[in-house]
Amino acid sequence: MNRERIPNHRLRATLSCYAIVAVPVLLLTLFVYLPVIWAFSKSLYQFEIGGESVFVGLGNYVEFLTADPVTWPSLGHMLLLTTFAVCMRLSVPLLVAKLVHSIPVERWRYVYRIVFLTPIVVPGVAVQLIWSGLIYADNGLVNETLRSLGLDSLARGWLSDPTTALPAVALIGLPFVGGFEVLIYYAGLSGIPESVNEAARLEGCTGLRKFFLIDIPMVMSQLKLVLILTIIGGVQGFQGLFIVTRGGPGFKTTVPGLWMYYNAFSFQRMGYACAIGVCLFVLIFGLTLLNMKYFRSTEELEGGR
Amino acid sequence: MNHGKQILLHALILAFAAATLLPFVFVMNNSLRSNAEQYHAFFGLPQSLERIIVTIPAALRGATEPMTVEDEEGTLRQVAPAKALGVSVLTATKGYRHAWHVIRPYMLNSLFVSITTAAGVLLLGSLTAYVLSRQRFFGAKALYLYIIGTMMFPGALTLVPSFMLVKKLGLLNTYWAMILPYIAGGQVFAIFVFKSFFDGLPEELFESARLDGAGHSQLYRYIVLPLSKPVLSVVAVMSILGTWNEFLWPFITNTEGKYHVIASGLYVLATSPYASNFSTLFAAYLISSVPLLLLFIYATKPFIQGVTSGAFKA
Amino acid sequence: MRVRWISLALVVALGAWLLWPQPSDEAPNDTAPKQGHAAHSQDVRYVLRFSPGYFFMPDSVPYGIGKPLQGLKTVVREFEARFPDTRVEFLNVPGVREYLVTQLSSGRAPDIINVNVEDVWTDVQKGWYVALDPYLEQPNPFVVEKGDPNAPGYKQWWDIFRYQAISRGKAAPDGLVYCLSYDMIETGIFYNKDIFGKVGIEAPEDWESFLEVCRKVQAAGYTPVLMSIDMFSDWCTDLFFDQVYNNLLPGIDLLKDPKREPYLQGYLDWDEICFLHNLGFFTSSDPRYGEIWRLMKEFRQYVNRNLATTDLTREFVTQRGAMHWNSSNFTYRLLADKQLGFEWGVFYPPPFTDRTTPHASHVPMCVIGGSANQIEVTNSAFGDTGDPNTSERLQRVIALLQFLTLPENCERVVNEYPCLIPNVVGVPVLPPLKPFEEILERPYTTTKWVYTFDLKFSEIQRRMLELYLNDGIPFEEFLAWQEKNLGAACHNLVMRKPIDIPRMQAAWDAQAAARATMKDLPNE
Repeated sequence: MNRERIPNHRLRATLSCYAIVAVPVLLLTLFVYLPVIWAFSKSLYQFEIGGESVFVGLGNYVEFLTADPVTWPSLGHMLLLTTFAVCMRLSVPLLVAKLVHSIPVERWRYVYRIVFLTPIVVPGVAVQLIWSGLIYADNGLVNETLRSLGLDSLARGWLSDPTTALPAVALIGLPFVGGFEVLIYYAGLSGIPESVNEAARLEGCTGLRKFFLIDIPMVMSQLKLVLILTIIGGVQGFQGLFIVTRGGPGFKTTVPGLWMYYNAFSFQRMGYACAIGVCLFVLIFGLTLLNMKYFRSTEELEGGR
Repeated sequence: MNHGKQILLHALILAFAAATLLPFVFVMNNSLRSNAEQYHAFFGLPQSLERIIVTIPAALRGATEPMTVEDEEGTLRQVAPAKALGVSVLTATKGYRHAWHVIRPYMLNSLFVSITTAAGVLLLGSLTAYVLSRQRFFGAKALYLYIIGTMMFPGALTLVPSFMLVKKLGLLNTYWAMILPYIAGGQVFAIFVFKSFFDGLPEELFESARLDGAGHSQLYRYIVLPLSKPVLSVVAVMSILGTWNEFLWPFITNTEGKYHVIASGLYVLATSPYASNFSTLFAAYLISSVPLLLLFIYATKPFIQGVTSGAFKA
Repeated sequence: MRVRWISLALVVALGAWLLWPQPSDEAPNDTAPKQGHAAHSQDVRYVLRFSPGYFFMPDSVPYGIGKPLQGLKTVVREFEARFPDTRVEFLNVPGVREYLVTQLSSGRAPDIINVNVEDVWTDVQKGWYVALDPYLEQPNPFVVEKGDPNAPGYKQWWDIFRYQAISRGKAAPDGLVYCLSYDMIETGIFYNKDIFGKVGIEAPEDWESFLEVCRKVQAAGYTPVLMSIDMFSDWCTDLFFDQVYNNLLPGIDLLKDPKREPYLQGYLDWDEICFLHNLGFFTSSDPRYGEIWRLMKEFRQYVNRNLATTDLTREFVTQRGAMHWNSSNFTYRLLADKQLGFEWGVFYPPPFTDRTTPHASHVPMCVIGGSANQIEVTNSAFGDTGDPNTSERLQRVIALLQFLTLPENCERVVNEYPCLIPNVVGVPVLPPLKPFEEILERPYTTTKWVYTFDLKFSEIQRRMLELYLNDGIPFEEFLAWQEKNLGAACHNLVMRKPIDIPRMQAAWDAQAAARATMKDLPNE
């Protein structure tokens, strides 16, 4: 009798668990996996909204990788922007976090933490619009400052000049300090055990040496987190570019994500856009694998020792 | 640490802070200036503020000789100081009043979408994580991988097909077009965080409760939920932030313009032919920051507590 | 701690009070009526959705100056009073093509929209728009009930329109008319008479004098011409193209549509362009084609530095720029500006001469404007039965349009502020718009590039042109881009629409004699 009961109990437990996760899994399947599969399959077709589908096999991929003059430059732009973002977000906020952490008075530390967290309350769209409409505008902050300094000739349309468009876009958000990174790094620095700090002080390892030899390795897991988030955001992000330059001038600030959007919604080439999406997926997947293999977090470092 | 070093530290930090906040200072300044002022010079204090400052003492005195003020439409009028004060205040706040009128529906939509999404994410995420973490059943590991695997897919890949799917389901131009995909996506991160948190809970708690005959719902309500308060606030805040700033998806699923959230509404406002009034535009940016500011004021403490509680291990 | 909770509760209460959804709280430009229709709300059978475009959107304020517009709303309310079972809602559709396509394909577009008819032509075969010929060829009932048999519109609705050739010329290549041209718009170069006086110049008569005028203005420290990249890619391209290709028309205009020909007087449709492109026209081996861009580059040096700027008005109004190329509605902006402080006038771009280019056609610069509000009826209008022939809703939509085109109504809408030229007989043109009325008498352009092909074509052309004009790419690279761009656009169109090559080939051969005297045709 007992032997019959236990499998029933197990079965009921399993079923109840599945019942609980049914809704989330359904949502996930419907809104994530289904579109993904659809995208993979539609990338083999050429079709537009309201028109018919034509099977072209790998034609879209071939076109994207060989015949489309926008592809490789856009990948280049994406690479440049992401690299720059990574450099900025791994260094400046860490520096500021260290500075704030070094203030002896807790009250000031608290105030500064709040100050640097404040910019997140402004919606991202507003920040982009502020930079493009107020700072980079023809009569905006940058140009007016140059004019008041007598450097009229340097004033230009920063976002529409072919040579300055990409750097201008990269610099949006200067000095890259407002946001979560400062807080995350600060939390990491606070998490360094007091024993470690003591030991460092005793051995005379202070100031810059301590910063590079002890603090940075101890916040490696936070750095890794920000690195992953920045890379993923950089590879597929294009909302900002859409708002600020729409990929122009020419295609000087186009990235693959934006090109995909244009092909899907402006040019009506849905199949082609799906192919671009699949290529982006392969890229991100590869980067994630790389990241898991080569970057070790703090725990792994400690464990390895 | 000596005094000089402290001052240096403060100075450096303040320099960074100033650079970060500078654009917003200009936005605030320009939201009070009329178009004509902004046409003529970029740098300058709002004339409407000057007007207010000038009229206040006269109005307080109860003086009666008329003063010149510029009203909302830009015409100069001669009125008594008390009225002049009222008119000046109206002129100064013209941008804000107009922006509020435009932003109001957007804000409502944003709040509804974000809060509903956060609630859904918290509920579904914690339930699923609880089941995956504390129950042993057939296929638990596979299910977890299935769920986490969705993190691999870039939003860009699913943008087009999600749009076609939502269109097919007839959800275009509704709140659900935004809420359902957000919950579907947001719950993954929640499950990830909750699970790592639940994994750290001692098994004895659950064992003893189960021996007492507790079923899923009791375990969930009386043990899991109370313990996970710090993580709840972290997940809720991250979910709200994530959905608050989503611009592209509401933009493309909202073809009729009725369900715009703040993010897409601001873009529509800024690119519409009606965006000729700069002060309205800038006031709109500022007003749209208020909800998050409130969130920030009330949720930072629990959020920081949650982050530093160790639930965030990369 | 308790203080925190209390303040939070207060904030939430305040927020709820501020944000509580109110009945008057609809989408910002929605002006659905509230008063006077409560009694009829149960009787409303048809809710018509009307997207009038931004020129006449009720409650909008043009250029942010003056009072909100009411004209269209007043007229529509009168219509509703006549037909108590109908209500009209105004909405503002983000007029970008991607939206339109998604809306139209799902049958959710507004019943009446305002779209450039060339966009309509590309989608005609999808059944998204209603052909208006059957209604236009019938009398307009509202004119008939007035009782005057000589009034335009009594015999045929068609007769109510002033610019017959333009209106009929908007017929699609399939011969059917899908849009009503409610009014006309034209572009012109607004110039600052005070600056001209200071520099000692007059409005130019030909292209060489125009460049000379620009040179002098630039030497005096002003920006000569204020324009944006869209004007280069759209207006300039069409104008320059017409200037160098117009005299070739007898030899290359292969298809002449009897309905549209009287107005168009030689027009190259997409199929003719594809056919010609195959023969080498509009490629790097076509000397005339290169001339267009070369001349544009030469002209560009007198234009503002940032072509993507949105601030041209500011430059003109603060007298930093001497000339500004804009359309007729800009007159309102200048008239309504109380702080303007200078005299201004309008002239049209002057034609090329032999000194400009050896291929000049010696014709005056053509008209690139034409219809402004082009009103179309979408497939949503017959959504009640799904069949335009049986739909009563569609009848009501048509009635609204017939009502709108009555002279007294058109006057109230179009002449509410100086902006556009009414297309209804008997409605006067507002005095500030007289110069544009004269411009409209000119012949129509040879083709409208930006509206002939798909969005990808115009997008790429605009972007590459911007790069080229800003010295981002050399001339040869730009031409290569354009050639590939045009080739891809032709290829796409040919895949989607039927093209009658034999007929064009026959016409081509037949017109060989006309081409015999033409020089510098591309090598075949």
